Parts: sequence; structure tokens; C-alpha cells
Amino acid sequence: MATISVPDRPTRARGIQFAPPVRLIGIGLLVPLLGLAAWTVGARQGWVPPQILPAPQVVWDTFLELWQSGDLLANTLISLQRVLFGFAAGASLGLLLGTAMGLSRPFEAYASVLFTSLAQVPALGWIPLAMLLVGIGESLKLIIVAVGTLVPVAWNTRAGIRAVPSGWFEAASLWRYSRAQVVWHIVLPATVPQIFVGLRYGLGHAWLALVVVELLASSEGLGYLLVWGRQMFQLDVVIATMAVIGAIGFALDAALAAIERRLQRWQVASP
Amino acid sequence: MVATAGSLEMRSVTKRYSVDGSPLVALDDVSLAVEPGEFLAIVGASGCGKSTILRLFAGLDAKHDGAVLHDGAPIVGPSLQRGLVFQEPRLFPWLPVERNVLAALRNSHLDAHARRSAVRDHIALVGLQGFERAYPHQLSGGMAQRVAIARGLVNRPDVLLLDEPLGALDALTRAHLQDELQRIWVRERTTMVLVTHDVDEAVYLADRVVVMSPRPGRIRDIVPVTLPRPRDRGDEALLRLRAHLLRTLAGTPQHAGLALHRAA
Ligand SMILES: Nc1ncnc2c1ncn2[C@@H]1O[C@H](COP(=O)(O)OP(=O)(O)O)[C@@H](O)[C@H]1O
Ligand SMILES: [Mg+2]
Repeated sequence: MATISVPDRPTRARGIQFAPPVRLIGIGLLVPLLGLAAWTVGARQGWVPPQILPAPQVVWDTFLELWQSGDLLANTLISLQRVLFGFAAGASLGLLLGTAMGLSRPFEAYASVLFTSLAQVPALGWIPLAMLLVGIGESLKLIIVAVGTLVPVAWNTRAGIRAVPSGWFEAASLWRYSRAQVVWHIVLPATVPQIFVGLRYGLGHAWLALVVVELLASSEGLGYLLVWGRQMFQLDVVIATMAVIGAIGFALDAALAAIERRLQRWQVASP
Repeated sequence: MVATAGSLEMRSVTKRYSVDGSPLVALDDVSLAVEPGEFLAIVGASGCGKSTILRLFAGLDAKHDGAVLHDGAPIVGPSLQRGLVFQEPRLFPWLPVERNVLAALRNSHLDAHARRSAVRDHIALVGLQGFERAYPHQLSGGMAQRVAIARGLVNRPDVLLLDEPLGALDALTRAHLQDELQRIWVRERTTMVLVTHDVDEAVYLADRVVVMSPRPGRIRDIVPVTLPRPRDRGDEALLRLRAHLLRTLAGTPQHAGLALHRAA
């Protein structure tokens, strides 16, 4: 009678590293802090006139004022709402389109030339046409944000599906998987990492595009606040708003990254 | 327990591929019968059509001349009654071990409860208790290949086809898994067809060893191994058979050096 064997040892230790370690975030803050220091010193020494570059303290006070008046919050919420709706629409369409192109050669044959050439036009390049078509209302913002999201999501979804190793399809056919089972149980999970690359790019593009549309054609939102600050020659408002835009963009990406890590606990974190 | 199902047969099978427009004969008029419950090994230089034979038996490749039969019925596509283990384990990295095995049962007739216990039994069969929740990246190559073997067996097929399943493992792990495979075969009496580069592995495990020669792929010899199990790797008779097989392989037109090199 054979003895029960002991499995050979795992090659990798159980401890999985989750990026990014605190140390690296600290390094990332170094440059902004140096910049802030230079700005503070520069403003105090009067190297640039305060009408052009107000001191950090002034900007901070303006930020608090904007916050307390509710202007900042109201405009932020409007921008966030726009970006989230547009992103949701663009991401859903992009997923559908990318999946269809990835799974169906005939569909790809029909769609790929058109898609590839339209994808060369940046989301902002759609603004003039969209303005003519839908005016400068809410739908303009939604369309531009959705386009900015759709392209990278569709692109990466298709690439991810194409990269699924054929060996898995063979295994699936041995187990008599239906087409739906192959898509749901193999293609989808195998493509999640690449889809997230697309989603993160997409959200970044979406946020950027939204701010620009608001600069050009809006009476609310953070982009509009920038325009308003410039028109009033209130550079402190402009800088405070820029800081908020940057922080929100950072937070949106971090939120997606966190969801991604949760969905992919099985993956070895890359160093 | 004596298996009554699980015979495989090829009658005058010719399989052609076309490579860059020119035809390539992967199997040339091959006839081969595998008895129910038999352990058959196939050896031969690479490119002689060993994987092609397994793919045809698995039902992955329907276009061929001649007949391919399972228990007398023509094989027209894959079946849960025939398992196939590849050289690479092909695990899904996003699923833990137990759910990787469960994936093979997706279209099984078993109910949820029976599936769970089948998964548990087969993880135990390959000696991986305690690793049910581990993810593939946490496993060594040998452990991953055990999971692949459990996947191949979990549907309780009549036939298990193994395509160089231990080829990528280090010598120690390989010897260990050969013993496991033998133990599983003795216990389950599933018909097994093992493709291997390794003549020692073939004579240690098989009832018969098929020697193939390449270009075009043909069966050159079939050598019975009648020694009782468990076998001793150092057994005189085994070593004589091995020497005989290596001589036969050395006589095959190409890549003979590879087999000799392995023996050295
Ligand atoms: N899908 C394929 N297309 C074209 N040629 C193939 C294909 N599969 C195998 N072959 C060729 O058929 C021959 C036999 O291949 P294979 O059965 O994989 O050999 P082995 O497993 O013995 O190394 C080889 O010459 C190989 O290049
Ligand atoms: Mg092969």
C-alpha cells in the first residue's frame, strides 16, 4: 500500500506584498512639498507679483472661504456627477464594444477600421461637432466624458480578450463548456486586469475632458470655477480650484485601484 | 474492481496538417488498440505525432482519415468520459485549487453536493489536502500538475490521456509523481494513455510501451511490460526493457540523440 505523500513545498512564500508600501507614498510627496516650500519663499520674497502668484496662505484662506460659502462643494458635486454618469455610460459601451470586437472576428472585421480611426480623435476633438449636434447643455458634457472613457475601455477589453491563452479554450472544450460559459467563466475573469487598465485610463481621460468642456461651455462645475476665477483676476480661486481638480483626479484613480486590488487578490502584486 | 469500459481504438488513422501551404503527415496509417483499464505509454522523438494521437482520442480534432473509437463508438468531439492532462497545468490563476478542480465539473450531471465531495476526494487523491484554498501562484510546479491531474480525473472518466504531464518537473518531483500516478491507476483502474519523452517513466508505469518514429508519424514497435506492480526502478528486467527501447528509439530516423542523451 502506498503511503500518503506530502506535497512538495510551495515555491513562493504565502506572504503577498500589496503595493504601494507607505515608504513609496512618502517619496511621492517629497517633490510637491519642495514645490510648496519654494512657492512660500517666493511669495514672501516678492519674486512674483501677488496678483499673478498669490501666497499659499492666501490660496488656503480662499479655499476655506469657497468651502464655507458652499460654492466649492456645489460645483464639485456637479462635476463629479457629470463625470460619473458619463464614465458609466462610456465604460458600459466600451465594454460591450471591446467584448464584441474581442470575441467575434466578423464583428471586428466590420468595426475595426472605423473604431481605430475614430479612436485617433481625442475626446476633446469631438467638442465642436457635439456642440453643433446637442448644443452646450448637459448632454454635451456627458457625450464628451463618455467618448473619453469609451475608447480606452474598448481598446483594452479587446486586447485583453485577444491575449487569453488558447490552452484555456481547449480545456473548456474538453469540459464541454458552452460559449456563454467560456465567456463568463474564462474570458471575463482572464480579462479583468486589462479591463481595469482601460477603466483607469478611461476615468483619467474622462475627468480631464470634463474640466476642459466646463472651461469652454458651462456655467457650473469646477472647470467653470477656473474660468470665473480668471475673469475676476482671482488667481487664488484659480489655484485652489486646480488643487481640488488634481486631488479629485488622484482620488478617483486611487478608488479604482483599490477596487482592482480587491477583485484581484489572487494576483501576485508586482513590485 | 475490474473496469469494463474504457477501450480506445484507432483504425488506419492518417492525420494531415498543412504548414505554410505544404502538407505535413502527422500520423500515417496508425492503428492502435488500448484495452479497458490498461496503462499504455507512448514514446518517441518530438514531432512524431504523440500529441496528435491524444488530441484525436480526446476529440479535440475531428478531421482525419480512418476511425477513432471509444468503446466501439466513433469519437466526434470531447466527452467528460475522456480526461486530458496537458504538459502545462493550465490552471486558472484567479481561482483557488478547489475551484480550479470544480471548473472541470461545470457540465457534470452531479448535483452541487456530489460535486463538492468529488472535488474533495480528488484533491485528497493527488495528496493536496490543506491546499484547497491556495491560489495557483502559491503552488510549486509539481503541486500545480497534481491539481491538473485531479481535474483530469474528477469527472471519473473511463479514460485519462496524459500529454507529457511530468515533462517540465525536476527529476525528484517527477519520480514522486510517477509513484502517485501508479497508485492512482492501481486504485481507480482508469484506462491511461501516457505520452512521455522519458523511457524510464514509460517502462516503470506502463503495461505496454508504444514506440513511434517521426516524419511521417508511425508506430514502430509495441513493447509489453509484464512485470508485476509495485515495480522497482532498479529491477534487472526493467533495465533490459529500457535498453531495448532505447535501441529501438535510436533506430528511428531523427532526434534519436535526444533519447540517448536522456539515458546517459
Ligand atoms: N495545429 C497544427 N498545425 C500544423 N502542424 C501541426 C499542428 N499540430 C501538430 N503539428 C505537426 O504535426 C507533427 C506531430 O505533432 P505532435 O503530435 O504535436 O508531435 P509530438 O507530440 O510527438 O511532439 C509535428 O510535425 C507538428 O509540427
Ligand atoms: Mg507533444
